[in-house]
Amino acid sequence: MNGLVVNCRGVTRIYSDDAVPVQALRGVDFGVRTGEFVSLSGPSGSGKSTLLNIIGGLDRPTAGSVEVDGVDLGTLSESQLSDLRLRKMGFVFQAYNLIPVLSALENVEFIMQLQGVPAAQRHERAQRMLSELGIGDLLDRRPGELSGGQQQRVAIARAIVTNPVLLLADEPSANLDSATTEDLLQTLRHLNELHGVTIITATHDPMVMQIARRQVKLRDGAIVEDSAALDASAAGA
Amino acid sequence: MPVRLLLQLSRRNLLRHRRRTFMLLLAISVAVSGVTFMNSLIRGFQHDMREAVVVNMTGDIKVLAPGYRDDPSIENSFVLADGWAPDLPVDLVDGWAARIKVPAVILSERETRGIQLVGVDPASERISFIGSVSYAGEPLASPEDARLLVGKALAEQLQTAVGRRLVIMTQGSDGLNREAGFRIAGIYDADGTGLEKAFVFTGVSALQRLLDAKVVTEVSIRLREEGSSAAEGFSARGRLMDYFTGLDVLRWQELEPQAAAMFAFADSAIFIWFLIMMGALIFGLVNTLITSVMERVREFGMLRALGMRPGSVVVQVVLESTLVMALGVLIGLGIGSLLVGWLADGIDLSAWAEGVELAGMRSLLVPRLLPGDLLLVALMSLVFGVLASLYPAWRAVKVKPLEALRR
Repeated sequence: MNGLVVNCRGVTRIYSDDAVPVQALRGVDFGVRTGEFVSLSGPSGSGKSTLLNIIGGLDRPTAGSVEVDGVDLGTLSESQLSDLRLRKMGFVFQAYNLIPVLSALENVEFIMQLQGVPAAQRHERAQRMLSELGIGDLLDRRPGELSGGQQQRVAIARAIVTNPVLLLADEPSANLDSATTEDLLQTLRHLNELHGVTIITATHDPMVMQIARRQVKLRDGAIVEDSAALDASAAGA
Repeated sequence: MPVRLLLQLSRRNLLRHRRRTFMLLLAISVAVSGVTFMNSLIRGFQHDMREAVVVNMTGDIKVLAPGYRDDPSIENSFVLADGWAPDLPVDLVDGWAARIKVPAVILSERETRGIQLVGVDPASERISFIGSVSYAGEPLASPEDARLLVGKALAEQLQTAVGRRLVIMTQGSDGLNREAGFRIAGIYDADGTGLEKAFVFTGVSALQRLLDAKVVTEVSIRLREEGSSAAEGFSARGRLMDYFTGLDVLRWQELEPQAAAMFAFADSAIFIWFLIMMGALIFGLVNTLITSVMERVREFGMLRALGMRPGSVVVQVVLESTLVMALGVLIGLGIGSLLVGWLADGIDLSAWAEGVELAGMRSLLVPRLLPGDLLLVALMSLVFGVLASLYPAWRAVKVKPLEALRR
């Protein structure tokens, strides 16, 4: 497994839906070690969200392979991919994507319910997680009754409450003001540094890029800059 | 599969879209109550039809001499042993009646008519219509009573009245004609039905004397209401066949095939009506569910992105449909039952009396609610609800999570 929690080899993604095929990723090689905080950045259409989605098993590469925690995603069926996402990944979406009919507490409990965690245990864990994220007094509120920042915290709580191997965040600050973004970034940093959660985020936001310990820049479907490689070469020099 | 979670999501989604859920419930309950009420009318019609056949001299089961159905004369008769009594459970049989029924000609001073002359024991005839009709004059007193009961319509045709004499001509057991004068004991009123013109009654012993034969042409058996199911009927028939060896033992369905066919058609009509109502309902249900699913494609995509299996998404959509269907069915059955209860005294169809009589019904149609029908409607509706939700559910999982999240 060579210490990589994510291992992409020659990942190519071509969208053939339109008359002219679009090559979103061009043979990307990319690896992430446990405990890293990686930001994928680049202009629109650079392929950062595509790469994130392929790592998360939400999309499949046209060519190449992706391993997450030693599992080759290309060999899995849709149901097995669902199980992998359930057991090993946490997702934070740009639009929060909370379940509107469930309260904040129930949203956080949701993944654990799918996993079959006993009620008392999941209740206690969800409550503790929301308290840690500073919204312990909003347990019974439904998403429609929460601000954007509060909803994003609930989404983060939902994503990490099961201790996933990998946290994937797609433009997590896109709908937040700068003060709320700052709070969110502190939360992510806290999770990464204190809890050792591996985080990959696709973002345009310089604030998010700055806080990540490794920055990967993409353009036209290829990695054009990777701070880890720069660090390695600097160390080698 | 986290069924409790899926139930929770389904229930809350139904509450979240209150107006849509209300409209669905309304449509389902109207359809189910309509089906329930219509079923009760059809069952009422069936009951009337069966009662008319069974009470009009046929009985649930009849014992006849072989050949009597082709040639209903005294030649095709049989002898009943003294103290005859087949072994049938008391709680199954409502009553028995041994009769002689032969064709005859009846003459008054002014008119002549062909009739069925029926020799009866008046005490046994509570199982047939003659035991419950109203009379001008008086009923027969005993099997020995050599007077006549004549129908009101026939009496009018013969231009005769209670106490007057009529002449009966029929064929005796020796093949020779018999002729005798009878005084009219009573004129019965069978609500103007054809029975009044068809049947003339006298004491069975008196008729046996006229025919010079101590025989009967039929034994009619009436089963109790609760013992009239097909299985009970067949069971009783089997025992009677063992007892009346060599005779024809026939159920009413064989004796009155036309009525039996209409009875069976009524059974089919219940299903046809159910299918029409449910077909229309399912069309609306599928449309509404598809709209609901399409509105929530993003939500379903998110659930799958978070790790919910495609099968669980299908189950969630099916559960939502089943929950709303179950509730709608309960309300519909309740409304339908209340409606039937409200009309428990019957619906007056006397304005269409002639047509109603032709169909074998009474002029008062009493709806009948059968528990089996309620159960069938409930189960079939739920099955239809599940089937109706499969296509929308398939649409919900057909969209890939990523495509859904991008919407």
